[in-house]
Formats: sequence, structure tokens, C-alpha cells
Amino acid sequence: MRGSLGCVEELPGPFPVGRYARKLQEELRRRARVRLVGEVTGVSRSKVQAYFELRDAEGAVPCAIWLDDLEKAGLPAGGLRDGAEVVIGGGPDYYPGGGQASPSFAFRATQVRLAGEGDLLARLDALRKQLRSEGLFELQKQLARPRLPKTIGVVTAESGAARRDLLAGLQRRSWAGTVVWGFAPVQDRRAAPAIAAAIQELAATPAVEAIVVTRGGGSLADLWAFCDETLCRTVAMLRVPVISAVGHERDSTLIDDVAAVACSTPTHAAEAAVPLDCGAARGDLERGAAALRRAGEGAVGSRSRHLVALARGPARALRRERIALNQKTREIRASSERGLAERRAFQRRLASVVLSRAARRAAGAEANSRREALRRAEVAFRAHEPERTLERGYALAEDAAGEPVTSAAAAIAAGRVKLRFADRAVGADIDTDGSER
Amino acid sequence: MSEKPESYEAAVERLEQIIDRLDSGQAGLRETLDLCREGRELVTYCSAELDAVSEGLEELRLDELAAKLEATPTPNEN
Repeated sequence: MRGSLGCVEELPGPFPVGRYARKLQEELRRRARVRLVGEVTGVSRSKVQAYFELRDAEGAVPCAIWLDDLEKAGLPAGGLRDGAEVVIGGGPDYYPGGGQASPSFAFRATQVRLAGEGDLLARLDALRKQLRSEGLFELQKQLARPRLPKTIGVVTAESGAARRDLLAGLQRRSWAGTVVWGFAPVQDRRAAPAIAAAIQELAATPAVEAIVVTRGGGSLADLWAFCDETLCRTVAMLRVPVISAVGHERDSTLIDDVAAVACSTPTHAAEAAVPLDCGAARGDLERGAAALRRAGEGAVGSRSRHLVALARGPARALRRERIALNQKTREIRASSERGLAERRAFQRRLASVVLSRAARRAAGAEANSRREALRRAEVAFRAHEPERTLERGYALAEDAAGEPVTSAAAAIAAGRVKLRFADRAVGADIDTDGSER
Repeated sequence: MSEKPESYEAAVERLEQIIDRLDSGQAGLRETLDLCREGRELVTYCSAELDAVSEGLEELRLDELAAKLEATPTPNEN
């Protein structure tokens, strides 16, 4: 604080405050005169002036107008009232006060007129661009809308025709669920906050599956509450789909842009809130049920018939085969009788060929057998040949006539013998002296 | 019902699929019987949903709805 006091000492002055107030007034009055557009609130009057605030969503300015100037403006009776959209012309002013009078700042309006369609459209256009650039037009359109809601919320005027039209629309859908009414004023400066509050309250009720906001037609000024920035931002952020039907077909309010669906009439809004025609749906359902019955019965019935046919199949097949077999038997019998003689002759020929082949085969076998016996006799005979004995180292003594000498007496008698070895024969004289006894 | 459908539209969509499959004639006996049973359950569910919005229009004001909800005990209350 001490530092601040130090700063005060460094600034120019001190000037008498009254002089400063006059200077401030002069400077403000030198500022450019402009037109402002906004909604009138807090209207009050003194004997010579009317006071009000001009505001929109972004801010407000306190205004004052001399009653003379107000009269010259030629507004309709009660034109300067709370909620009226007006255009004023003038500039900033400062009343320095003095004596007992308090100082005050005000935008001194010297002209005033009710805002025309053009003014409102320009404001609407700017707001529309702003909300679109923030992506607020798309949020509601991405929400899933139930085709058959059980409970819908409706925000509208309690006494308006829109209420009746909406009920007629629901009746056309053969829909008789629950409607929760959020009644709210739909045309004045209180309308937008009240509508926003009703919508939020409905959206907070879990049973409410869709919300309709509706009112009948009117001028853009009449419908201006539905262009309220705060209301439209509220709608855009809701997680319950909102169906708007404000004004007539040609009217386009900002709430139509942010809502999930915009309809031209309350009747259409009812149909959008309940997309399903309940009467038609019941018919479709009955047809679906019938199709299921047919499919179920048909599937079992056709298969049963097929099974019965299959069960009869073997008996039919047997009968068919039996007939075919009998036919074949007859054919075979006839055929066999016709060809019996030929077959016998053929068999005889065949038998003779077979027999001769057998005989030939038998003859061959006998010769082989004889050859084998001969070979065995030869082997036995050769085992008894004297040469086999000589080959083992024995010698055969023969006399001059070639007869075997089989005893010592015969050898002595012969006097000389021939000794036959395996390799050759040699002569030998018999020496009786060397004989053993 | 084996599993409650998410919504009326989900039930109708499934029912249409079932009827298309049955109409194709490609379902075997077991599949046909299973589809018919599932379809009948869906028809029952959809029918109950339609009944719920056919018994007479009920109109409530927001404050009446709040009072009604307060009067309805929550599952946790005894």
C-alpha cells in the first residue's frame, strides 16, 4: 500500500473531481455516435427520461433516452418494454452529478426503433456461424433416436395450439405412452431461460427418451427466444435427442440447427419423436410371427415326409430287385437250355484237351522217376566196384588168366600173379619162403 | 429368453435377419428350430414393448413426474 501511495504522488494532479467529471463528460460525448441492437430489459421512467439496459449474451450497456426523443421515435404503444428487440442510435454520455445528484454513466439514445427482420437475421447469421464453427450443429445429430420411446418430454406453451397438434401427431402413430409436459413461456425475454431449464429437467429424467420443443408460427422477433445462444448451447450439449418444431416451414431458428431433428410442425415433430407407426408395427410383427410358425412347421413337416418316403424306400427297392432277379432267373434258364448241347460238346473238347495235357504231364513224371532210380542204382553199383577198393590202397591179385587169386594156396599154385593197384598193375612172383603161417 | 434385446429396433432387426435366413431355405433342421425359438422370443418381447405404448396415453407435468418418481421406491430401499 505504501508503494501505491508513492505512485499517487508521482501522477499529475490532484485535480478537483468536479472538473475531472466535466472533462470526462466532454470526452465521452466526443466519441463516435453509433447504432446498437439488443434486447431491452429493466425499463423504468422518470418525469423526463426512460432508462433501460440493452443486452445480449455477451454483455449489456445502461441506456437513457429523453421522453421527447422517445415520443419522436413513434414506437407502438408499449414498444419500449422488457424483452423487446430494438435498435438505438446515440453515443456514450456521463452525468457528473453535483450537489445531491449522483453521477452516472449511460448510453444516451436519441433514436430508437424496434429491431427489424434484417437486424435479427444479421444477428442470427453471426450466431449461426459461431455455433457451427464450434461444431455444435453436429452433436445432437450423432445421437441414436429410439424408434419406440415409452416416454417423451415436450416443452411448449401450456395453452398453445402446438400442444393439441402434437397429441394429434402421436395419435396418428397409434402411440399411447407417457408424455411429460415441461410447460414454459415461448415468447418474451423470460422464454429462453425457462425453455432451457425445462429441457434440462426433462433430460435429467432417465425415463425420458426424446424431447420435443415446439411452438406455433410468428415473426422472427416472436421466435427470437429460440435463437437464444445459451438455450442453443444447452440443447447442443444434451445427451437426449431434441426434436424442434418452432414456427412454420419457412421459419428457421437457431434451435433448429442444433437439434437432432428440425420439423416444420408439431405434428411432424410427434412423428419424429416416435418414428415407428405402432399400428403398422403390430401388423409387421404378426406377419413375422406367422412366418416363423410356417418355417418351424414346414421344417419339421417336410423333413417328416422325407423320412417317411425314405422309410418306404427299402421295401420298394427290394420289390424292384426281386422282380429283376426273377426275370434274370427265367432268362438264365432259357439260355442254359438253349446252349446245353453246345456246352457239353465244348466241355468234351475241353476235357480231351485237358486229359491229353495231363497224360503228357504224367509221362514226363514217370521218365523222371526212372532216371532217378537209375541214378541211385548207379551210385550203389559204383560203391561195389573193385576200383573203389583199390582207390583206398588195396591191391587185387590176378592169375595169368586174369582171374582173381583169392587165397595163398592159389597164389602159390599160380607161382606168379599180377598185382593190380589203382594206378596200374605190376607182376609179382610168389615166394613161398617168406610166407607166414 | 436367452438374452434380452437392447432395444425394440435391435429386436426387430434380428427378427428380420432370422426370417431372411429361414426364407433362404439354407438352414438345417437344428438351426431352423433354434431360429424359430429365438424368433418367437423376439416376437414376445416386441409385442410387450408395443403393448407398453398402447394402453392409453398418460400425461404428466414435470413436477408430477418428480413426485411420482419420489413415490417409487428405488431397488435399494426396503
